[in-house]
Amino acid sequence: MSLILAIESSCDDTSAAVIRDGEVLSNVTATQTIHEQYGGVVPEVASRKHQINIIPVVKAALDKAQINKTQLTAIAVTRGPGLLGSLIVGVSFAKSLALALSIPLIDVNHMKAHILAHFAEDPKPSFPFLCLTVSGGHTQIVKVTAPLEMQILGSTIDDAAGEAFDKSGKIMGLKYPAGPEMDKLAQNGNPIFQFAEPKVNGLNFSFSGLKTSILYFLKKQLKTNPNFIDENINDICASVQHQIVYILIKKLKQAASETGIREIAIAGGVSANSGLRKELAIAGKECGWNTYIPDFQYCTDNAGMIGVAAEFSYREKDFSDLNMVPQARLKME
Amino acid sequence: MKLQIQSISEIDKLVEAFLKVSNGEKIAFLYGDLGAGKTTFVKHLVKKLGSIDEASSPTYSLVNEYDVTEGKLYHMDLYRLNSEQEALEVGIEDYIYSGHFCMVEWPQIIEKLVDKAVEIHITTNEDESRSVEIDLVNY
Repeated sequence: MSLILAIESSCDDTSAAVIRDGEVLSNVTATQTIHEQYGGVVPEVASRKHQINIIPVVKAALDKAQINKTQLTAIAVTRGPGLLGSLIVGVSFAKSLALALSIPLIDVNHMKAHILAHFAEDPKPSFPFLCLTVSGGHTQIVKVTAPLEMQILGSTIDDAAGEAFDKSGKIMGLKYPAGPEMDKLAQNGNPIFQFAEPKVNGLNFSFSGLKTSILYFLKKQLKTNPNFIDENINDICASVQHQIVYILIKKLKQAASETGIREIAIAGGVSANSGLRKELAIAGKECGWNTYIPDFQYCTDNAGMIGVAAEFSYREKDFSDLNMVPQARLKME
Repeated sequence: MKLQIQSISEIDKLVEAFLKVSNGEKIAFLYGDLGAGKTTFVKHLVKKLGSIDEASSPTYSLVNEYDVTEGKLYHMDLYRLNSEQEALEVGIEDYIYSGHFCMVEWPQIIEKLVDKAVEIHITTNEDESRSVEIDLVNY
């Protein structure tokens, strides 16, 4: 039996989870509620805030799973990629706890964990499968041959897809990050406006040009009608969303056709986008894919996915030693 | 120094100007609206400095690091941060006092932390050309 405490601190959120034999018993991310219950305050965005968060979050994860730390069989932690100052907090804490409890330490690649989050719950994709990971910071298509064997087929050469949502929304005057708000507005609009499609070779993505194209389009329209954005906000959002989703699905189709793989998964925070979900379902029907989207709690940055990924290493007894250091640019392959 | 760039495809002109104006100074503050070309400039600079890395946006990650011939280049975007205190909590001083290249987008909140920097102000004109002012500034 395995009972793993997983810790994630690669970017904004501090998160801890308890996983028993691959099943997530608790998955807790630092929030005001946790702090009211366990002490401390939550600063807005920062990395040293992880130092304030980590103990309350770990306590909450253990309590929620009704597990005592002495029962744990391993500690898992995000090694990278991420912000070095943030990663160090999680890694140092994990090492200390593993040492104190005399149990193994497992280091996990954050990007691999996003993909392996699909194994937290049924239905699970079978190997090999393709995964499109889309979030505020990442956009990539990965071929997954085995739980720990992955190959990046394409990734963004500038902005991430989530960032394209956030920044386009900002241009329209929505509050940053604007992704979820744009999704809501888009559902009441129609994609009647056209924006430039980036020309990128192979399976790579580019969203920087789209952002600029939207910016120029709006500037031009505002010259003749100062209320253009207010009057057309739903249609503009629908058009932007349509274009981003179109680009993502197009490359996904290309990857599927080039590899002949029909098990298709999406991961990361943008998988919550209703437009992407809808188009993925349509493409799936059209191309005969089996499609997979994890539960939302496993899409954003969270420790549950770190624990699920660590379970695979645990079975292989692939442990890391205490000299392991975090890596801001940890590669996937 | 003032510079006119007809379109973003001429961004290498700005890279050349930066290398000339900076005179060895490795910290640059980049000013300009969304879509002005700040990240595109860094992308081209990273290549020019001998890196094989493809620079992407650091808005979400806050800091991206690249290996260049002369050590490292840190590409930062402080857009998501609200104060100097938050920047310090991110460990910003570890980067700006490292002696490596630091290209900082939305640097307003950390202007007081350095003695000098190359200031690059990019303005987008009506016809989508860019007017750039680039100067080595002592604070």
